[in-house]
Amino acid sequence: MSVRAVLGLAALNGAYLILGVMLLWALRGLRRWSDVLRLAGLGYLVGVAAFGTVWTQLLVVRLPFGGWGLVLTLAGGTAAAGAAGVLLGRPRPRGFVDTDRPASAASLLVAAAGVALTGLLLEALFRSARLQSLQAYDAWAFWVPKGKAIYDFGGLDQQVFTTFPNATYPPLVPILDAAAFHAMGSADVVTFHLQYWFLVVGATAAIAGCLYRHVPAWLLWPSLVLVFTVPRIASGLLVPQADVLVDVLFVAGALLLALWLRDGRGWRLAAAAVLLAGAGLTKREGLLFAAAALAVALAASYGRHRVVWLRLLTVAAVVGAAALPWRLWYRSNGIGGEAPADAGAGGSIDRLLDALRLSFDVLFDTALWSVVPLVALIALGAAFAWGDRRVAAYLAALLGLVFLGGAWVTYAFRELPITAQESANPIVRYTGAFVLLSAVATPLLLASVWRSGTEDLQ
Amino acid sequence: MYDVLQRWLSAGVGTRRLLVVFCVAVTLVALVVRYPDALHDADETARANAALDFVDRAVGAGNSVFPDQRLLVEARGLIPPDESFAVSVGDPQPGWTDLTASSAELFLRSYLLPRRLDPNARWVVCLACDRDAHPGAVAVWEGDEGLAILRLAS
Repeated sequence: MSVRAVLGLAALNGAYLILGVMLLWALRGLRRWSDVLRLAGLGYLVGVAAFGTVWTQLLVVRLPFGGWGLVLTLAGGTAAAGAAGVLLGRPRPRGFVDTDRPASAASLLVAAAGVALTGLLLEALFRSARLQSLQAYDAWAFWVPKGKAIYDFGGLDQQVFTTFPNATYPPLVPILDAAAFHAMGSADVVTFHLQYWFLVVGATAAIAGCLYRHVPAWLLWPSLVLVFTVPRIASGLLVPQADVLVDVLFVAGALLLALWLRDGRGWRLAAAAVLLAGAGLTKREGLLFAAAALAVALAASYGRHRVVWLRLLTVAAVVGAAALPWRLWYRSNGIGGEAPADAGAGGSIDRLLDALRLSFDVLFDTALWSVVPLVALIALGAAFAWGDRRVAAYLAALLGLVFLGGAWVTYAFRELPITAQESANPIVRYTGAFVLLSAVATPLLLASVWRSGTEDLQ
Repeated sequence: MYDVLQRWLSAGVGTRRLLVVFCVAVTLVALVVRYPDALHDADETARANAALDFVDRAVGAGNSVFPDQRLLVEARGLIPPDESFAVSVGDPQPGWTDLTASSAELFLRSYLLPRRLDPNARWVVCLACDRDAHPGAVAVWEGDEGLAILRLAS
């Protein structure tokens, strides 16, 4: 580890942040610097997803991935977003204080406590990440080698990308790894764990920033801090694999869709399209998650104007178009499909019930997820009864589909044994998406219940 | 049943808010239980990582695969980055881990990148291999437990 490597990583992640914030500025405008600060985390995730999605397409068409290419893409993307913002007449941010929405002293105090608790945890994780050796099997067996291959050979090296395990897994995470190696100046597989630390910081800031105006601080922070401390999520945050990132991109995208169902602001759909496209290129289930989120959003917007459906279908088209070239690439290189051979047909009812039971047991295992799913279910019930029913229906259906998706994976891939053992069945890793979504949904749902029946929403 | 549902749905603001407070209270209790453990675990991991030496950190999971990390250090030092290597594994030896025979090749492919795996390469990472299968090969490094790095005359 060297200071140069850490500074290089900080600069790279700063560039993701600037790219994403510039995209958000072009999409929605950012009137005040407090808006920039509030949405910086979301901007960072959008920047990461956009960078990874664009480079996936560029690698498929054999554009070499090098240091200059990296700089040009980030600088060019930022400049293009800036130019779009200027053309769309977005005003530059001015001032800091949001006079329209004054925050109470109590709210600021709770937010400060939440930030402090999160900050302490992130500080400990930083110290852990900067000297972390590469240990997880999936990380050294295929995720990191793919990143090294992009760094060393400048592209989707045929030997590495077709003969290492899990050849169908999409390349967004290896692209981020390769970018990190360039930023550090070498394929330093110790210091590069800090890249995953930056992703955790960005995810926390993104969720907090997205919910900040929609839920009171005392509902937001307990749920948010808890989810990053539950055993299974805390232990996986810095593992250089795709599991946390796919969950984060999906949940941030799904959250934007939930908020869009409420206020119909178009920029949320555009940002969700980038995030869900990124999820689909991060891991195979990312595409399943994206499809579920968009299908449920379509159903939840039933009865609205046809234009709404058209917009959602456009988002779906963007996500599908982003996912396609990679799938064509691996097909053209003789790699089999990512779905199970029989797609679940012909499986027994017993196996289906066993798969459902396994998903249920894993989800309600408090040793893995503490009380996060339980509280979310109570919040869902309460929101159905008294809160925002449209958002509650959307989140309930999405959580249900994600849950059933996990059971389907166990059911359909018959080589998977019915066990929660992580080396044999991915159901525990998969359930992380449900739990993270639960933690993000809970404050939103509880806030709608708290405000129901009163005129004063704050 | 219908009456119960009706009463539930028409609950007053106080009841609704009590339920919200209950959910937050449960979350806070869980947080009080979990947060110190999570912080402690992250601290302990940081401490354990800091206590490792440079080679242990660089080799990482290789320490669980190979009985002697010197093989990995020597392989990186001896095999030029633009050359390829073969892996030849013989019968398990005393001192090998459960993963040595099954995972050595995959680990080496990952660890030695950008060096590529090629069965016909002039560099051979030998794990108790049959030396006769590599005629003309010279051991440029030899360790214990049958570990060696061979080079074939080009």
